[in-house]
Amino acid sequence: MISPNSTFSMTRLWLVAQKEILDLLRDRKSIFMALLGVTISGPLVVCLLYFVAQSIQGRIEKITAPIVNAQLAPDLVRYLERRGVKVDADPADYEARVKNGELDAVLLVDPDFAANLASGRLATITLVSMSSRERSAPIAGRLSSELRGYGAQIGTERMILRGVAPAVARPLQVEELDYSTAEQKGARFLQTMSFYALFAGLMGAIAAALDVTAGERERQTLEPLLTTPVTSTELSVGKWLAVSMVNLLAVTASMLGFLIALKLVPLGKLGLPFNFGAREFTGFMAVLIPFALMVPAILLAFGAAGKTAKEAQSSLTLAVSLVGLLPLISMFRQTKAPWWDVWLPVNGQFAVLSKVLRAEAILPLEWVAMWAVPATICLVALVVFARRLGDEKMLAGR
Amino acid sequence: MIEVQSLCKRFTVSERTSAFALKASKRIVTAVDNVIFTAKDGEVTGLLGPNGAGKTTTLRMLSTLITSDAGSARIDGADLTRERATVRQRLGVLGDAKGLYWRLTARENINYFGRLQGLSSSDAQSRTTALIDELGLHDLADRPTQGFSQGERMKVAIARALVHNPQTVLLDEPTNGLDIMSTRSMRELIRGLKTQGKCVLFSSHIMQEVAALCDRIVIINKGHAVFSGTPQEVLAATGLASLEDAFVKLIGSEEGLFA
Repeated sequence: MISPNSTFSMTRLWLVAQKEILDLLRDRKSIFMALLGVTISGPLVVCLLYFVAQSIQGRIEKITAPIVNAQLAPDLVRYLERRGVKVDADPADYEARVKNGELDAVLLVDPDFAANLASGRLATITLVSMSSRERSAPIAGRLSSELRGYGAQIGTERMILRGVAPAVARPLQVEELDYSTAEQKGARFLQTMSFYALFAGLMGAIAAALDVTAGERERQTLEPLLTTPVTSTELSVGKWLAVSMVNLLAVTASMLGFLIALKLVPLGKLGLPFNFGAREFTGFMAVLIPFALMVPAILLAFGAAGKTAKEAQSSLTLAVSLVGLLPLISMFRQTKAPWWDVWLPVNGQFAVLSKVLRAEAILPLEWVAMWAVPATICLVALVVFARRLGDEKMLAGR
Repeated sequence: MIEVQSLCKRFTVSERTSAFALKASKRIVTAVDNVIFTAKDGEVTGLLGPNGAGKTTTLRMLSTLITSDAGSARIDGADLTRERATVRQRLGVLGDAKGLYWRLTARENINYFGRLQGLSSSDAQSRTTALIDELGLHDLADRPTQGFSQGERMKVAIARALVHNPQTVLLDEPTNGLDIMSTRSMRELIRGLKTQGKCVLFSSHIMQEVAALCDRIVIINKGHAVFSGTPQEVLAATGLASLEDAFVKLIGSEEGLFA
């Protein structure tokens, strides 16, 4: 029977953690680049989304309608101008310009338009656009709705002239009642924020986890370490604490970045009353702290596999892609989330973070999932990590 | 004091005949086979053997990094497998891997190991300072070890191994890659340890070095200890005048490295 190296010592565990933190923080280049990337990428996306939304709204409001044969429909031109649409009569070479994106949508007035309209027959206007082009679609939509409005106005006038109530031809009135609160509409738009918060909890740990696993092999420092009374449990927990601290730093930095960016960007002006105040910040941290503690344990367990730094690195990359791809499940899902969704790591975090943004109540069971699942995974990963660190097969063939 | 009783170590090596081979064939390599020797306090014992003879594996077993398949060994009476905690405290090891933490200074590197060995914060600091003085590392002590030369790194690594003032010191090829000046100061250091009454076991494949330092030689070849005794006994046993010739005769090969 092989006796343990020594009994567990909290002092040594702290020594390991302190040394690793010092060592990691001295690696300015990789750690600070990772922190910087995590801190600015989220707010950058917020700003980007703001400008995209602003430009879409601006384009729909200040819209120009190029009309072929505009002289045949002077009433329509007047109607559109009254509605705030600038009319550009008879654009040259419109077909090619719609195709190459210079024009978003063009109205084509039928040569018989005026005659048909006067005699009460169907008068045709063709709306030419490219529906596959994303930025053209809202403009074509706006023009289409203006045309329908024009048609409805003429129809109503005709009926009144004939002494018929307009409701005869329009038997259905559709009223819309939307239960979505303003926060929810805004949150849908900014769901990407949940993604970036989780992203920070992953990216913050990678460089550090690589350094304390593959780096230790590369520098050949693990073997001297294992000849001291330090046990593999003390080593692995100490390393985990150090990497977790760096990761928590990354998550906090990313959240503060969001907080500042959302204060500066006036999303309210766009009709997006998006709220990210103290309540949301606390909710986010309550989900992200257990997550930020779990990720380092997983990365370390993978990173300790393999005898060489190269093997450790590729094994760690596998762990990163596993963790990184899981939230895509709920991002692209169209159906209602199944019951196990919240228990699936990463995916569950994404779902609950989105709920926090939507200002929905989070069930006690969901909080249990947010803490119990990461705690279990963390424990298993740490056991694997400790075993791999102490495994003599990992030392024998360097 | 090191007492080694017929230590054995086998490794399983899996090999593929080609990159596309589905099954890897398993081959058992015996690295150390029935090695017996004793290294006493106040003596320098040299573990001599050609490359791949099993020197490093023997030292790794003694430093509790890997476990033996058979046999046993005692460090100052403490059994290697049953009393590992005691063994680790008694041993100072400069192993095959001599890496340092690049971003930590020489002082921090040495101090960290002192604290892990159970020294108090003040003891570790005073011991670190003493070793820095002894090894002439003053000017470098507070610089990160990244830019150190091979010799300077070796000095930090040896200080790290000696920080807790161990009674038994294992050194795996301590002069490998060092220039003449560094080699000389390493020899001085080993002699110093001997006069302090420590038990020093060091491995080498360089005959002259062993001849210059050792009170006792253990010659290892292909996992077996083929001879154990004083340099005079080596010469007497082979009837040859030079240790180098005796070494070649004992390992039974003229080809040496290319055997």
